[in-house]
Amino acid sequence: MHFTWFLPLALMSVSTGALAQAVIEGRVLLSEARSAPVMNKRYEIVSKGGVLATNPPLAVVYLEGDFARAIPAHDKKVEQKEMAFLPALLPVQVGTRVEFPNLDETFHNIFSFSPAKRFDLGRYRPDERPIPAQIFDKPGLITLRCDIHEHMRGLILVLATPHFVVTDPDGHFQIKGLPPGRFRLKAWMSSKTTLEKEVELKNGSTMRVDFP
Amino acid sequence: MKSLPLSAIFWLACAAVNGAEEWLDRLDETLTISAFNDTVRARLSGTIELEAYYFSLPAAGLIESASETLLNPRFTLFLDAQAGSHIYFFAQARLDGGFDPSDGGLEMRFDEYALRYTPWEDGRLALQIGKFATVVGRWNERHLAWDNPFINAPLPYENVTAVSDLEPPVSARGFATTRITAAEKYDFTPILWGSGYSSGLSVAGRLGKFDYAAELKNASLSSRPESWDIANRGFNRPTMSARLGFRPNPAWTFGLSASRGAYLETADVLPRGKSLGDYHELVFGQDAGFAWHHWQLWAEVYEARFEVPNVGNADTLAYYIEAKYKFTPRFFGALRWNQQFFADVRDGDNRTGSWSEDVWRIDAATGYRFTAHTQLKLQYDLGRHDSGRAGYGHLFGAQFMVRF
Repeated sequence: MHFTWFLPLALMSVSTGALAQAVIEGRVLLSEARSAPVMNKRYEIVSKGGVLATNPPLAVVYLEGDFARAIPAHDKKVEQKEMAFLPALLPVQVGTRVEFPNLDETFHNIFSFSPAKRFDLGRYRPDERPIPAQIFDKPGLITLRCDIHEHMRGLILVLATPHFVVTDPDGHFQIKGLPPGRFRLKAWMSSKTTLEKEVELKNGSTMRVDFP
Repeated sequence: MKSLPLSAIFWLACAAVNGAEEWLDRLDETLTISAFNDTVRARLSGTIELEAYYFSLPAAGLIESASETLLNPRFTLFLDAQAGSHIYFFAQARLDGGFDPSDGGLEMRFDEYALRYTPWEDGRLALQIGKFATVVGRWNERHLAWDNPFINAPLPYENVTAVSDLEPPVSARGFATTRITAAEKYDFTPILWGSGYSSGLSVAGRLGKFDYAAELKNASLSSRPESWDIANRGFNRPTMSARLGFRPNPAWTFGLSASRGAYLETADVLPRGKSLGDYHELVFGQDAGFAWHHWQLWAEVYEARFEVPNVGNADTLAYYIEAKYKFTPRFFGALRWNQQFFADVRDGDNRTGSWSEDVWRIDAATGYRFTAHTQLKLQYDLGRHDSGRAGYGHLFGAQFMVRF
């Protein structure tokens, strides 16, 4: 009997809560340096031509704070496609499972010596199932490499927050669905450079933050 | 002269192991340049190696040393450059004690330089000209120190036989009784002299599951490094080599190789009416490879015939089987079994006998990668390394290297 009036109230509350969530948007001034990799084909005389994709500099913007720790619902993917990692930079929440599908016709051998996650997936075929995967359970930066193709380099940034986003190549970003409160907003630009700013978020507000 | 590179190697090695990983990654990016909207790109890279050997004399393979120990530093620079998707250029320069480990002084060499033109992006055809590794076999794909699980080469690529390109035998009896001493070892030749960076041109490509490669080079597979440079040997006695490969899937590879070329360097004792171009080395090779997860397996068999002045045909067969397994992301082990057999030749008294004693060698190696740029390898070899020596030969080798 009581449910008849409780349900609309509950829905109204959820709806108001969603509307009340804060948004941060802005721009990170990215470095102009970008990598245009060169493939070593010295002893692979039978190789396809092609030019490797150029990776534009990107940043990861994330909100640091004491958030309830939830296991990420979705797996992520880092593909090996046309002799490159795609995406070249992937931020994930701690506990995320990342699959590494091989979409090339040749072997790859992904490995990481990074302290946050050491692994070596070995050589596996494009059609191999299950697709090799790793769970990233410690925050930190993981450098992905291929033991066969030395030019291949990828990054996984494991974060202890569910609130993060990768900038576009112009440095623009927008993070939605943020809770109110005082936090640190960080912009990870490279293994050596992370910029940060204090932010105070209010219900329903949109805040603009630029780095630097 | 030697102290400066040695101390540089030591300090660079220490720096690399102690947290210079990111610095080396940034160095890699710094040494990569591009122009014309990334159409033209070039990358400079290299390795710094320090090898130490302890062995019973005479040393195995192509190691040239009068004492039982040898320290062999090596600095290698690579240049890879491309212009669009059709033009690729690479070069390799080395500063070391010689192409093969030796106790001689340091020397600087351009071991490889080649220009490749790939008209179609699907890889059906690639034309290459320059000084580069032979297309025969598949060991060349992993012959550089970072990729080679071992410190040395498989037996067919380094075991010197009684065939000499510098001092051919004056009689069949002399050939059949040849004993190779440590001091004279460098006068004799293996079936394939290492990676065979001779000069010439090649054509290669892939058609479905098949790949092909053919080359016309200035020196035979057994020719010594001094002959690889076109300025030293010219191109008047070319060697023709080819390989046909079959790759049913990424895990398996199979290949057939063949080569024919003149190998002699001196005409001093040739029979009347004969010239250097009349004596060939003929090689027929088979290779197979398999890779799956943390396993890699390779095998090659080479049948070689040397046309020896004053002797006739000297046939030999050499093979090896090699396996590598990664126990952890950083730690790997490898085993290799090598053998070489020698056929009979007829001596001056019309008696037949093997022209050399059969040889076997087992190689065991382990490696540890401290970082993605630093690696330590240890190797032990046991075998009958050289004909004419009683008992077994031993070799212990250690190699530390930094890659940038």
